[in-house]
Amino acid sequence: MDAGTTVDDSVPLALDQLSVSYGERPAVRSLTLTVRPGEIYGLLGSNGAGKTSTIKAIVGLVRPAAGTIRVFGVDALGHGSEAKARIGYVPETSMLYEALTPREFLEFVASVRRLDAETATRRLQNYAEAFRLEAELEEPIATLSNGTRQKVLIIAALLHAPPLLVLDEPLNSLDPRSVRIMKEVLLRYVGNAGRGVLFSTHTMEVAEQLCHRVGILDHGVLRGEGTLEALRGRVAAGDASLEEIFLRLTEEDVGVAAAVSSLGDPSI
Amino acid sequence: MSWREAVRVSGVAFTELALQAVFAFRQGNILPPGRSKNLVAHAHRRVVQSKAVISFVLAVLALGGAWFIHEKVLHPTILAGIPSGLFESAVLTGLLSLDVALLWWTGVQMVPTLISSGVLAVLEPLPLDARVLYRVAAILYLRMFDMPALTVLIVTPAAVALALGPLAGLAVIPGACVAVAYALALSLLTGRFFLRRVQGSRGGGGHAIVRWAYLVLWLIPAFAMFAFITAAPAFFHTLTVFATQGPSTASTLLASAFPFSFALLPAIASGGTGSTAILSPTALWALAASLLVYGALAIWSIVWLAGNVRSLLFIPLQPSVALPGAAVKLRPTGSARAVLMKDLRIASRTPGYAFLILLPILDAAALGLLTYATPTANPVATSLGLGAVTTAALLATFFGPAFFAIEVVAYSYGRSLPLGHRSIVLGKVALIAFMYLAGAALILGFTTLRLFEPLTFGAFILAELPAVVGAAFLELGLLFRWARRRGLAITNLYAGAWFAFIVAIPGLVMAGIPPLLFDLARASGTDLGLGVMAVAALLELAIATPVAFGRGVT
Repeated sequence: MDAGTTVDDSVPLALDQLSVSYGERPAVRSLTLTVRPGEIYGLLGSNGAGKTSTIKAIVGLVRPAAGTIRVFGVDALGHGSEAKARIGYVPETSMLYEALTPREFLEFVASVRRLDAETATRRLQNYAEAFRLEAELEEPIATLSNGTRQKVLIIAALLHAPPLLVLDEPLNSLDPRSVRIMKEVLLRYVGNAGRGVLFSTHTMEVAEQLCHRVGILDHGVLRGEGTLEALRGRVAAGDASLEEIFLRLTEEDVGVAAAVSSLGDPSI
Repeated sequence: MSWREAVRVSGVAFTELALQAVFAFRQGNILPPGRSKNLVAHAHRRVVQSKAVISFVLAVLALGGAWFIHEKVLHPTILAGIPSGLFESAVLTGLLSLDVALLWWTGVQMVPTLISSGVLAVLEPLPLDARVLYRVAAILYLRMFDMPALTVLIVTPAAVALALGPLAGLAVIPGACVAVAYALALSLLTGRFFLRRVQGSRGGGGHAIVRWAYLVLWLIPAFAMFAFITAAPAFFHTLTVFATQGPSTASTLLASAFPFSFALLPAIASGGTGSTAILSPTALWALAASLLVYGALAIWSIVWLAGNVRSLLFIPLQPSVALPGAAVKLRPTGSARAVLMKDLRIASRTPGYAFLILLPILDAAALGLLTYATPTANPVATSLGLGAVTTAALLATFFGPAFFAIEVVAYSYGRSLPLGHRSIVLGKVALIAFMYLAGAALILGFTTLRLFEPLTFGAFILAELPAVVGAAFLELGLLFRWARRRGLAITNLYAGAWFAFIVAIPGLVMAGIPPLLFDLARASGTDLGLGVMAVAALLELAIATPVAFGRGVT
């Protein structure tokens, strides 16, 4: 963001010229995007497109090589704790303290988030009931299935009712019932004034159902951004699905038929 | 053919194990900046370095034992009453015990890492012969111990040969082999025990008590090292009594006990049965029978190991039992206290961390008990008690910093939380202070019952506290700076624990200076000594605090 630009503290998330590198390997290149109030923003991309690197930079797990990150106007690189206090984060992989039980883990998260006991307990009970997690709350996380761990992470992200949710493939490993609940939670969530959701996925159907706008990342570069209608207009295909739009914008549609054809009969 | 394949596959699996042990990617650690190249080579190098450190310690123990035997390093009064063969056997008993303890301790550290890395679970679905999988598991398990175990098997006989001659060197080989076999089997046995009873244990206060009780048992091998060193004078004293009495039932039982029975062999090879002064013909038969039993047990251990190592590596943790959910309540606390509670909870299911907490406390308890071995009101007992407090401080300062690894580098999720570094430091320092105070309180309890000098001991403990806190601040401040720069995980023995050891050196110096000043000043009066100590400790705290909270840490 240029010096002198007014910082809007109502905008949930604003990335400006964000770049992330691992050694000499660039993962995200000069990414600029905004999650507006009341919006679910879908970040789409193939494997290795830079979605997770972008998200890790936002939540403070990776130090960007360049650019700025603002969370409700707070500079996330200069005031990390302030920004993190406004974010609920679900990582791509279930990174948890495996030696804790979900109850112990969530108690730790609630402590760091400075929640009072009544609020934390009420929210935990509500979410645990919704996700049918009550029976596993006292089991060590190391013994839980991937789907159950994912539910724990989702509850941890929602526990402090943050104004910004940053979700990296949040529906991975969830059972259909929990996916439905999660979708409803997200839609209701942004219905509450001023909140925003950044949602990474490579499942086009989910993005199509949930996201108000999408950004398409390819090799760390934003190839396109906007509502589904706007993107259809951009690729000049009035009834294209998001998958088709994605493939065209990332130019990955080229050679798909040939690749499938070259596979031949899988049984041979 | 399947052996060749097993060696090839185990090479790949060991690379993954090294990578996970050092960089902890499965625990959410991210790729360290600027380290995408040579990552595998770096992990391998670090594992080799760590094995070399353990092997070096084992070699020093063997050579030190040989030096003890050769130079007859013992108090002249005790040495005069103990025959040479018995003295040699006693030293070698200590050496073999320490070999078992140190190898077992290595296993205690590494087996959970081997399990959590999941390296062999990846191989399970592949169309590999079951024999290959067994062999891969066995090779992988042995590779964790290779350099240290070979050190025991080669350096111990060589050192004994230098001290007592080649025949004695040959005679210690069975003892070294049995020590290695037992250590490897015990590591696996305790690893399985850990999976079932500790890591899979449910939450709640009652379960936590059971876990801590198991962990005390788990720490026996590590504690044995300290206990043996601590109890050595009493052991030699007992042997002089045996030597004076000549052959007896008690000495026959001693000759039949592991590892004393194996330690007798080099002494007999060097000086004959008469050199020990405790071996009657009956005792010799008992010795021979016990050697056969221990040897058979070692062979059975290896067979058991070969048959079970794979099953351990593929055992998932016990599946969660769907018990009806009670009304769960969350009780959030302040951030620093939350860090402390979390560390204690993690430690209660993680032997590596539990070891760091329990060892200083157990050692303090042992040293406190030793005050009972001296006559009442003997000034030596007072010194021993005060020395024990100092030891508790030094051990807490030495082991405490490793706890920071839980937080800062290994688990990425924790880094996504608004958890300030001040809260982390305060939480860790509270843990280190707790370890010191718990150990010191035990000593205070023992010494008060024995010597009744609660005020002196209490004042000593409190005067030292600022130095312990200051040392912890210094160590954690240095560790934070290093971790932020390098992004490495120090989650276990093979993952770069060297830096935690290095930062412990200034911490140990800081914790050691006030007791040293007390010792120098107490000739002019205990009160003066305590005053000097307290002032020094407070000054150290004032110096160290900016290192933990000043610029450049965050």
